Amino acid sequence: MATLLHAILGYFVLLLTIRLLTRRPGSQLTLFEFVLIFLMGGIIIASTMGNDRSVTNATCAVVMVALLHRATSYTRNRWPSMGRLIDGVPLVIYETGKWREEVLREMRIAPEDVLAAARTKGYRGLDEIDYAILERNGQISVLSKQKT
Amino acid sequence: MHSSKSVAEPVRDEIRRIDDVISVGEDLDFQRRWWRFEKLAWLILVIVLAADALGAFGRGWLAGAERHSADGSLDVRYERVERAGTPSVMTVEFAPSAIEGRTMRLFSSLNIVNELGAQRIIPQPETSAIGPRDITYEFAGTGSPAVASIQLQPSFPGIHHIELQVPGKPAIRADILVLP
Repeated sequence: MATLLHAILGYFVLLLTIRLLTRRPGSQLTLFEFVLIFLMGGIIIASTMGNDRSVTNATCAVVMVALLHRATSYTRNRWPSMGRLIDGVPLVIYETGKWREEVLREMRIAPEDVLAAARTKGYRGLDEIDYAILERNGQISVLSKQKT
Repeated sequence: MHSSKSVAEPVRDEIRRIDDVISVGEDLDFQRRWWRFEKLAWLILVIVLAADALGAFGRGWLAGAERHSADGSLDVRYERVERAGTPSVMTVEFAPSAIEGRTMRLFSSLNIVNELGAQRIIPQPETSAIGPRDITYEFAGTGSPAVASIQLQPSFPGIHHIELQVPGKPAIRADILVLP
């Protein structure tokens, strides 16, 4: 029972912490973020399992986390407002020649991140794009002038 | 029947425009509220960390407590906030008035064993007698002050009321909060 409660608490603590860390531009895991994931995961595992390292306990904890994940997925799809809370919303960073300074500042994104995203799509610079959007998964989408 | 477009041609999504502004599901009002919440949440997390460093959640300066019996026969040092599964030490000091002959007796509520998980007592008691809601230890003593250490490892979160006394003397009562 304690393991299941710890798993529930651990899941939501991790979910909140990761959500508070905000989206990283590019969404790819850097070494820096691997440290976070392994360390946080390890800490939660130790607390969830406690002194009971049996297969039964581990199986129950894994199933509980899977169930929570399923319930969270269902919740965010069923209620869009929950989806916004869990995943956030897309944010326009660059709009027809103008930077959205507020979004850049609050999301800790540098214009260079947007230019890097543009280059990965084959654009040479800002003069070829109309919009840059920070997606919910942390990727930056760029839309060329002719696309929109 | 068939679309005029080749299947090899990449699909081009159309982005809806409303009032000539791209519509991607952005909700800046929500996002601004989230940013305010984020700042508040980080402030709370920093306060929680500071409280933890000071021992508000156990194992620190704020958690340490000391109680004396009314007649001064017994002195107990313990942690008023404990953590489930985490070892700690409760120290019981007997004053000369608590020593009868060459023995000291300590009456303890049973929940120190059952709920606070008393693992070991140092020095090892010569005898221990279990009652319905209590346990009495007897130690051999040669002088004063005499100190016994009880190693705890609480199992259950909650508030636990404990009682310690030298039989026939005033008791020390305390509440210990065990965090999950």
